[in-house]
Order: sequence, then structure tokens, then C-alpha cells
Amino acid sequence: MPRWGMVIDLARCVGCYACTIACKVENGTPPGVWYAPVYEREVGSYPTAKRLFLPTLCYHCKNPPCMKACPTKAISKREDGIVLVDREKCCGSRACVAACPYGALTFVDEIKGEFGDELNPWERARYPQDGVGTVHKCTLCSHRIDEGNHEPACVQTCPTHCRIFGDLEDPGSEVSKLIRERNGAQPRPEAGTDPSVYYLR
Amino acid sequence: MAAVTNPFTAGTWIMEPKPQNFWGVPHTSWFFAMGVGGALFINRVLFGIELGRILGMTVADLLGMILIGIGGLILIGDLGKPLRVLRALLNPRTSWISVGAIADFVFLIFAGLWVIADLEWQGGRPLAGLPWAGNSPLGIAFQVIAAAAAFIVIVYPGLVLAASPSIPFWNTTLIPLQFLSFAFASAVGLALIFALWLPVPPALLTAWASAEILLLAVTLLLFVAHLLQGTASHATAKVAVTRLLKGELHVPFVWGTLIAGLLLPLFLGLYGAYAASPAPGLLALSALLALPGNWLSKYTVIKAGNYAPFL
Repeated sequence: MPRWGMVIDLARCVGCYACTIACKVENGTPPGVWYAPVYEREVGSYPTAKRLFLPTLCYHCKNPPCMKACPTKAISKREDGIVLVDREKCCGSRACVAACPYGALTFVDEIKGEFGDELNPWERARYPQDGVGTVHKCTLCSHRIDEGNHEPACVQTCPTHCRIFGDLEDPGSEVSKLIRERNGAQPRPEAGTDPSVYYLR
Repeated sequence: MAAVTNPFTAGTWIMEPKPQNFWGVPHTSWFFAMGVGGALFINRVLFGIELGRILGMTVADLLGMILIGIGGLILIGDLGKPLRVLRALLNPRTSWISVGAIADFVFLIFAGLWVIADLEWQGGRPLAGLPWAGNSPLGIAFQVIAAAAAFIVIVYPGLVLAASPSIPFWNTTLIPLQFLSFAFASAVGLALIFALWLPVPPALLTAWASAEILLLAVTLLLFVAHLLQGTASHATAKVAVTRLLKGELHVPFVWGTLIAGLLLPLFLGLYGAYAASPAPGLLALSALLALPGNWLSKYTVIKAGNYAPFL
């Protein structure tokens, strides 16, 4: 069984936010809900100042604290390592939001349109109608994976091949090679969550 | 824990510690009500602090159940999907909220059944024939079960916070201990307030005051220990401590919790209990100050929580 994961090559990210937007389009997330935000910061000072970009997503941890904290068992981990929220079971306690060290879950208390309270036809069709009062998070585009060997939308869209998707269990996969050869690092390893996303400097 | 450096940028954090904003006043009120309610019931079971009787039922038990009921209603009202509350009983193996929700129900059922057997109505006790009435073996079993559930009800909100790996300031067992000691201090404090109207012998009043003083002192020490641990452990927890002591939470924490909610009641309690003969008015004032102090302590600790940067 594969363990789907991602490698993010920070040296390649140019901060175009294409991944963020592709995710919003693919998943129809309502305003204020971002499954794949990119953080940006200026560091240093002239003449050595530089901008850093850090693309993020849910890290689909092997040991997900959100799943443990959820009182309703609405969060589950598939055999392929993808961590999903079943909004039909979520009671909106936000225990998972408190537990996640990566801020990857968003509680949605209302869904409004981007251009006023009223939803336009696209929004009515795409926004999750059962989503109010529940928690939303990145699915690693499990629907695309289940359809057959597609990459998540953020990976497919990235123009610089900064996000690389693959099977962490397969030592011959591109992600495994990159992690091995370039010392891929997981975020906040001290939290003991074993994320399925690695960063390359 | 040693300072954690960002592995991606050799020490520079891209993100700032981010204050949590999903829990606030409702959770504070929920934690407060459940803590005081649970401690009132346990104090009645262990030390016989009844606080009088209404229709034959002890006020401490009734008040404990009402407070825990209110806490439960706040919890349910704060859920995004309140009608799915029973689903929250499904994951006690790993979720403290689930454990607490089960304990709430167990407490309300067993305490309710036990208390109702004491009901006096029109000069009689219509339910005295119930098998668990009074101190029958079944009655004692009901009380033990309810008291155990009450104990869980007091500490589980603290354990919810302490189990969170994401927020370093919360990630300590000192929080459930604070919740425990402040809950019992508040419950004993309520007894001191009720003593203004109840015939309490001076020796018993001094004993209650001594317990109150001890609990307040322990609570104060736990807060000091928490602040010291936060300062010494994790950079993000240190930010939380700074927000409590010097930032936007300074007034409710330093003045509301530490000074008005703990130190002042401690001194008033000491003076009221030992300086002369017990002074019920001063002891009640001491207890009255500790109650909002308890609420504010929870509010400020919850609001001070911030996520550690991970990138």
C-alpha cells in the first residue's frame, strides 16, 4: 500500500500562489478557507535582504493529533495515509483545530459569497452545502487520486515543479529519492506527528 | 525543551507565533461551571458540605448538577452542529472531550438519581423507597460513581488543553492541576459565602477557611510554576507568558487573576480566619473575589495560547 506524500522544494518556489488558487478552484473552498496557503516573509536587510516563500497544506501525518482529539471519530486516516474529515460526522467541537500543530484545519461558521452575501451560480454549485458548522481541510485531492493516478491540483499546477507528489513507501519514487539525497525535513518533528510532507532547502 | 530552530532557514522563522482564536468566553464559562459544579458535589460526598437543603435535597448537589448542566449546555451551544452532540461520546480512547462528555452524562444520571430520592413533598418522602435512597449500598455506589465522574468533569477541560501539541503554553499538566485546585477553592468559597446565612459553628468555619487558604495558595503556586515553565521551555510559550504579564492580557491576568482573584482572597482569608475570631463577612468576601478570579484565570490561559511557528 502506498503512503502518499509530498516534497516541497523551497529553492524552486517563486511565490506565484498558483498552487493556492488551483486548490481553491479544484476543491471549491469558500472564502476564508485555504487548503494550500503560501506564507511569505522578508528576511535580512539591504543588501542581503531576501524573500522566503513557504507553500503549505495539511501534512497528512502518520500520527495525526487531529484524529486523536476528534470526539466524534469524524477524522480518519486511509490506508494510503491520507487524513480526511467526514463532515457528515463532524460536530464542530474544534478540538482538532486546537490539536493540529500546523494550523491545517479551518472551522467554517458561515459560507458567504466572494462578492456579497448571496452566492453566485458557480459558488452555489461548488461550495460544500453541508459545510457550515464543520471543519474543513486539505484532502490531498483524494478524489483525483482515487480516479486513477492523478496528482493533487496544487502539484499539477505548480509552474516551477516545486511541489512533488509521490509514494513515500517506494524507495525508488522521486519523492523518496529527493528526501534521501537532499535531506528532506519534516515540519515540527518534535511534535511527534510524522508528517507526510517534507521540505527541501 | 531546548529552543527549536527552523530547519529550513537555519533559525529564521517564516511564521510568527499565532494566537488561537477559536476558543474564548463560551469555553471559559463551560470550564468554570463544570469545575465548580464537580467540586461542590465531591465536597458534599467527602466532607459533608451540604450548604442547606431545598425540598429535602442538598443544595450542594443541586447546585453542582445545575452548574454542570449549564456547562454542558454551553458546550452543546458552542458546537458547530449541536444536534450531533451524542456523537461526541464515540471516541473516549483518545479524545478528552469524548471522555468528558461521557463523564458529564454519567454524573448527571447518577447524581440526579441519588439526589431525587431525598425529595420531600407535602411532608413526606415519596421516593424514599427507591433501592438507592439514602446511604444504602446502592446509594453509596451511585455517589461513588457520580463523584468519580465529577472528578473527571473537573479535570478534563484542562486535559483537553494539556494534550494539545500545537500550543506549547497549554501543553503542560500544570493546567489540569490549576483547574482542579481552583475548582475546589471556589467550591469551598461558596460554602464560606453560604455560611453567612447558615448556622455554621466557628470551628467548622475556620476549617473551611483553612482549606480555602491552602487551595488558593496551591493554585497561586501552580500559576507561578506555569509562568516559569512557559518562560523557560519554548519560545512560543514565552510569548504567551509575555502576553499575560505585559501584553493585552495583563489586566485580566495580573490584576484580575493573580492579585484580585488569588492574593487578595488569600490575605483576606488569612485575616478573616486567624487574626481574631473567624470573621464570616471577610471570609465570604475572600471567596467572592476568588470566583471571578477563577473565571478570569481560565479565560486568560485560553486566550494566551498561541501556535508555535512550524516554518
